Amino acid sequence: MSFIESLFAGFAAALQGPGILIMVAGVAWGIIGGAIPGISGAVAMALALPFTFALDASTALVMLAGVWAGANYGGSIPAILVRIPGTPAAAAALLDGYELTRQGHAAKALGVSLICGTIGGLISIFVLIALVLPLGELVLHFGSPETFALALFGLTLIAGLSGPSFLKGFGSGCFGLLLTTVGFDTLTGSLRFTFGRAELMAGIDIVSAMVGLFAVSEMFHQIAHPAGPAVTVVGKAHTAFPTLAELRSVWRATFIGTIVGLIVGIMPGAGATAASFVAYNEARRWSKRPDLFGKGSMEGVAAPETANNAVQGGDLVPTLALGIPGSNSAAIMLAALVLHGIQPGPFLLAKHTHLVYTLFAGLILVNLLMVPVGIVILRLCLLALKLAPPVLVASILTLIVIGAYAGDLFLLNPLLALAFGVIGYGMRVYGFSAAATVLGMVLGVMAESELRRSLIISHGSWAIFVARPASAVLLVLTLGILLYPAVLGAISLWRSRGIVARAADRSARG
Amino acid sequence: MIEMSHSRTTVVRRELAIAAFLVAFGGAVVAGSRTIEPGVHTDPLGPRAFPMALGAAIVLCGLLLGAVALVFRGQPGRTGPLANEGPDEEAEAGPFSPARLLGAIVATGVYIAAFDRLGYLLATPPYVAAILLIHGGAPRRALLIAPLLLTILFYATFRFGLLIPVPGGMLEAILPW
Repeated sequence: MSFIESLFAGFAAALQGPGILIMVAGVAWGIIGGAIPGISGAVAMALALPFTFALDASTALVMLAGVWAGANYGGSIPAILVRIPGTPAAAAALLDGYELTRQGHAAKALGVSLICGTIGGLISIFVLIALVLPLGELVLHFGSPETFALALFGLTLIAGLSGPSFLKGFGSGCFGLLLTTVGFDTLTGSLRFTFGRAELMAGIDIVSAMVGLFAVSEMFHQIAHPAGPAVTVVGKAHTAFPTLAELRSVWRATFIGTIVGLIVGIMPGAGATAASFVAYNEARRWSKRPDLFGKGSMEGVAAPETANNAVQGGDLVPTLALGIPGSNSAAIMLAALVLHGIQPGPFLLAKHTHLVYTLFAGLILVNLLMVPVGIVILRLCLLALKLAPPVLVASILTLIVIGAYAGDLFLLNPLLALAFGVIGYGMRVYGFSAAATVLGMVLGVMAESELRRSLIISHGSWAIFVARPASAVLLVLTLGILLYPAVLGAISLWRSRGIVARAADRSARG
Repeated sequence: MIEMSHSRTTVVRRELAIAAFLVAFGGAVVAGSRTIEPGVHTDPLGPRAFPMALGAAIVLCGLLLGAVALVFRGQPGRTGPLANEGPDEEAEAGPFSPARLLGAIVATGVYIAAFDRLGYLLATPPYVAAILLIHGGAPRRALLIAPLLLTILFYATFRFGLLIPVPGGMLEAILPW
């Protein structure tokens, strides 16, 4: 089947049955979730997971993609209207968005955010399609050693980028990998870390763990650090489309936002927040009116919002081509695959071509749907913003328990979600990375099975990992990432000791 | 100056405590891995090696974290190039209340335990009310309405919308569906 035929088949699959309604629901929930401070895109997606149980894998993925895209825009609504970013990535749009609101141009700022975000999102999906297909072809030549090296490389990269401390990130990743060893070992039939509990024989449910690490821990954080009362929204807000002249005036910022969003998105672990701030700074640098930035510049809204949305396509490049999720949201997409019995990994494109094409089509559709849904749903977002925080927290915790139970009608899952909520809260407080743990859980099965399979092929010789060029290159890169912070630390220590020694020398002479 | 030195000491102590925890946890994983039954011999590595290597990696992380904390003596904002402070957003959050956190964890645990026995419809309203009270700041009207409204809303969504059986518990016999 040709590319065009496959894409059309993808559109047909995405639109069949209640497909369009599910996409609208996903986008709407994403926008509302994104608009509520404390519910990031990943939390909104984790909360939507139970609603995908009844759907087939491709529809579930498209729905989650809708939530993700919606949350990217939703975060900017409170940022622009009330100076509170709904998601961390929307913080950059706040700088000029709220200034525009103060000047009476809230509707226009929302319109620029929505339209430029949609443009960025759509372009990033086309780039995703263009990059994933050749990468997928390349990965087809990978054997077990390369796949193991790839998993190790992805994990090390995320551990280094996902948090402020490399060691804690790496430890978090190892913890995630360790969690996948719980249960029945498929190669030897041994039971590992089940502590005699039959419930643990099937392993730890990744969805419950993910919901716990992202959503439950966030709710516990909100309870332990209660914020002020509900947000007050003054007056009625609406969205006004930017005119063609206004769009022309922000084209440069939109272009910069798209490029930055794509590049940052492709780098696993970098994230939408970094992309939106980099895009904001770059747009100011290249703008004809940099003096307006921070004082109500439309470009100051367009650049971060475009970047924020363009990250989605970039993020999905390593996710779909290599099986390495670039962000929490991408990891949830892969968890949804596991939930539907599909093992994510570098061969996803080859083994589940139809599913990937349906996702491509769905991503284009949800980005297009964001415009009408974004306009209609605005009032509901404002209502959700007015909802008292305790009611919101209670609703979400209840939804998590019932959602985790609904997975396989098993009480162990809500208990796991609670346990991982506590662990996730502790990890957050002490600077560990929940994202690296989740990635470890996603890559764990693949990493161990490919490592052991490689050693079966080589009759126990570890040389197989360096004898093959792709595997050797990936392992050298992994080693480089591992050693880089240590080298940096040694240089910093040497310099600081040099400074101290020189100061002591000077004071001794003086 | 004294305050800064005190905060550095606190950071170093905290990092050392985390390092000790990682060493202990990793050590326990290594010890636990040694007790795994080898099972059927199908591959050169066997079922023990991977978790054992992960345990050793966690021990190594702990040792390096401790070393970094001691070498860099908790410089402001970071304890060295490999270990920094938590995210800035923590500073923007409200004051920490351990009682609220513990209350929420216990309430959720009790709710999950009662979920199957009492049934969703009986267990949920007190849980929602408990979370509202623990969180604090809920309007009095919300305390009365939210528990019932949320219970019914989620029940209808899962039971009738998604066709997922929700535990009836003690009400199982009298529910008409």
